[in-house]
Amino acid sequence: MKPFDIIIVGGGGAGLYAAMEAMKTNPSLNIAVLSKVYPNRSHTSAAQGGANAALANTAKDDSVELHIFDTIKGSDYLADQDAAEVLCTEAPKIIRELDNMGTPWSRLDDKTIAQRPFGGAGRPRCCYCADKTGHTILQTLYEQCLKKGVVFFNEYLALNLSVKGSRSKGLIAMDIKTGKIEAFTARTVIFATGGYAKMYWNRSSNALGNSGDGQAIAYRAGIPLKDMEFVQFHPTGLRKSGLLVTEGARGEGGYLVNSLGERFMSRYAPEKMELGPRDLVSRSIETEILQGRGFDSPAGKYVHLDLTHLGADLIRQRLPQIREMSMYFEGVDPIEEPIPVRPTAHYSMGGIDTDNQGRTVMEGVYAAGECACVSVHGANRLGGNSLLDILVFGRIAGHTAAEEARSFEPGNITDAELKEHAEEIRSYMQPSGHYERYGALREELGHTLGTNVGIYREASLLRKGIEEIAALRERFKKVRVFDSSDVFNTNLLQVLELRNMLDLSETVAAGAYAREESRGSHTRTDFPTRDDGKWHKHTMATLVDGKLELGEKPVTMGRYELQERTY
Amino acid sequence: MTVSSEQHIEGKRDVTFRVFRLNPQVDSKPYFDDYTIPVERGITVLRALNYIKENIDASVSYRVFCQAGICGSCGMRINGISKLACTTQVWDELPKCREAGIIKIEPLRNLPLLKDLIVDMDPLVGKMKHYRNWVESSMPEPEMGKKEFLVSEEEFSRYDKATDCILCASCVSECSILRANKEYVSPAVLLKSYRMNVDTRDSLHDVRLAELVQDHGVWDCTHCYRCQETCVKNIPIMEAIHGIREDAIECRGLKDTAGAKHAEAFMSDIEKKGKLVEATLPFRTNGVAWTVKNLLPMAVKMILKRRTPPPPPLVKSSKGMKQFREEFREMTEHVKDDHKTHNK
Repeated sequence: MKPFDIIIVGGGGAGLYAAMEAMKTNPSLNIAVLSKVYPNRSHTSAAQGGANAALANTAKDDSVELHIFDTIKGSDYLADQDAAEVLCTEAPKIIRELDNMGTPWSRLDDKTIAQRPFGGAGRPRCCYCADKTGHTILQTLYEQCLKKGVVFFNEYLALNLSVKGSRSKGLIAMDIKTGKIEAFTARTVIFATGGYAKMYWNRSSNALGNSGDGQAIAYRAGIPLKDMEFVQFHPTGLRKSGLLVTEGARGEGGYLVNSLGERFMSRYAPEKMELGPRDLVSRSIETEILQGRGFDSPAGKYVHLDLTHLGADLIRQRLPQIREMSMYFEGVDPIEEPIPVRPTAHYSMGGIDTDNQGRTVMEGVYAAGECACVSVHGANRLGGNSLLDILVFGRIAGHTAAEEARSFEPGNITDAELKEHAEEIRSYMQPSGHYERYGALREELGHTLGTNVGIYREASLLRKGIEEIAALRERFKKVRVFDSSDVFNTNLLQVLELRNMLDLSETVAAGAYAREESRGSHTRTDFPTRDDGKWHKHTMATLVDGKLELGEKPVTMGRYELQERTY
Repeated sequence: MTVSSEQHIEGKRDVTFRVFRLNPQVDSKPYFDDYTIPVERGITVLRALNYIKENIDASVSYRVFCQAGICGSCGMRINGISKLACTTQVWDELPKCREAGIIKIEPLRNLPLLKDLIVDMDPLVGKMKHYRNWVESSMPEPEMGKKEFLVSEEEFSRYDKATDCILCASCVSECSILRANKEYVSPAVLLKSYRMNVDTRDSLHDVRLAELVQDHGVWDCTHCYRCQETCVKNIPIMEAIHGIREDAIECRGLKDTAGAKHAEAFMSDIEKKGKLVEATLPFRTNGVAWTVKNLLPMAVKMILKRRTPPPPPLVKSSKGMKQFREEFREMTEHVKDDHKTHNK
């Protein structure tokens, strides 16, 4: 295969936008998107609520300025202020651009794009399409990519970067359909592989494939990861499956109620109530449950998300997917009775460290979307800012890579490198010395993370978590792939994804242990307050000679001074 | 706690999953494997498959991603019907088993099989491209992002439901035309084409429509309604198909294609006699030359088997034609009015 100018890994919102923008920037470039699923299956489709932009359609007094402030305050002042400015300034343009390309935004009476209130936002600025916003955005982008003739390598799993010195030569990937290991020699690689919150397993709202592939590949190649300890727990996951009930449900007026029948948010966020920011609402639910005011069931403890007072019409019209999911997965019709919910690991604020243009420290390697950490979300992401992030920074990364691609000489990925990968994969299928079951390791990883690196954290728990993760990584060396087929070996896929989650889980736990303060989604019961003196900085996790090294990076400030974060 | 544990046990039983297997690397033909596992009430078919894969046979292969009914990966045939495994409750399937307690799991039909329950989606993507299933914006690219289109609630409502489609290909699998002709456009692509064609922001309506009326296009549908019955998102796919046809007749006239002529012949027969004059239908739809060339052998066979429809003079009008014609006229007027207001 001839060398690519740009290989984009991941076909979700960030990857597809990057592809379109790169083609637009320089149509003569040889660009391809490589994705482990058909792009229209990507997890972008699961984003229900919407995307923030200060269009000022619903609230006429909204402004980009207010959006920037809400984002920075929401991040507990860990976001880089220049990055947040880029995010919010580009927002109205990108939402209109999607409208111009066919995204079916819900509309107001005056025919403009509708906006609704969302947690942590001072104005109703979340643009939406019922509760299928991510799905419709992904469809639009995929359709436009088909129109533009973007080249797709569907059902290819990225394995590793091929690195020479400080330079990337391209990507080594496996064709899932044939099991063949292939070289994608490329001047530039953009990672857009989504988040890593699936490591929390059944306490996660994520798709099975959200195993942080891009982050793990970058990490193994020596590229630093940033703020990995910040994992957002969404307040309202379905009790049994962890699947998500959109914040839109509260935006539309849903109540959170404990077993005493109280709208308990009045204790924690008397003003914003249910529409407090996610970290706060999640902690509030967890506290209610820990203090015995939750409901009990064999599938775990929970509280109620009550929509019954909203009426059948509104629920049918604005929250149809939520109703469907509650009925499918909990057997509850939200028109009739409250939905059982509890917090669920939902979003990874941390990721591959990039600058505002999507560049990583390695020449020719870029990242965007949830797999990157620019950082715009800091210690806590606001609802409606993640779709926005993947769109804005997907586009920027595509643009940057297209501008810079030709300045890099293509390298050469050797057959020896491919052979090495093929042999490693074959080794998992050897019966001798390989007996660990993937399912057991994965369950244990999810359990130890949920218990020891969950919503409430403390030193002794985190130490235990770090030890258990190390033991699991050791056991993984003896993991067995029981399916020896080359064609569509989904068992192998599961194992390779688990390896990525294990590699990353160490950085999450280590970062959480080191950060002796409480900020945003990271809550240390032994250090219950924010410590700006010591910890107003990013955590950097880098793999040096096979060992994790923690470092730091200052937060870029701007016009907003540090303030206490109350709602 | 004790009470719920007891309920727990009550809602548990052994269920057998009869799973279609084919690994093209080693198998020359497909076979079924039976897996009997304990299943609790409330478990989906997908979770049951996960259990089988993790505890009994790691080689069982299927696609799975979001597990929440939105990504469309896990379309498969469960007890003969195409649907998503992640939103199908095992308990709901038990009464539908042909053999008690055995749930049959097979891959989607009408798409090339890759392995076990996995089919190749590329042909579907190819058709989406061929029928230009994207909004070709009426706004030039350099202008994009500067201002939004104004779209009324009514305009939005024309394509709102169609955008629910997650391309799970259940409708593709159930389509009776695709079983006979793999080149047929397919219901999902018709739905998407319709969705683009009614979007006020799109500028490719005529081009798309011209392609849709060609061979293997919109007129090939036989209204079996399987696509609509099976749609996991309850999208009225047939409304979209009818919508394209009505649009085609309105924009391109009745003499445009065999499909349009066929529809017209139907209408005029019903209007005149209240029933079909089948013997002349092929001539009126496809012309004399085509009919003689393509249907003569079949006609001969039909004559030999004495299965020919009666010649036109013998087709008598239905009873109560007078009243029927009045009602018929009223109905057609009604439909025309609807169209006018709809297309304003």
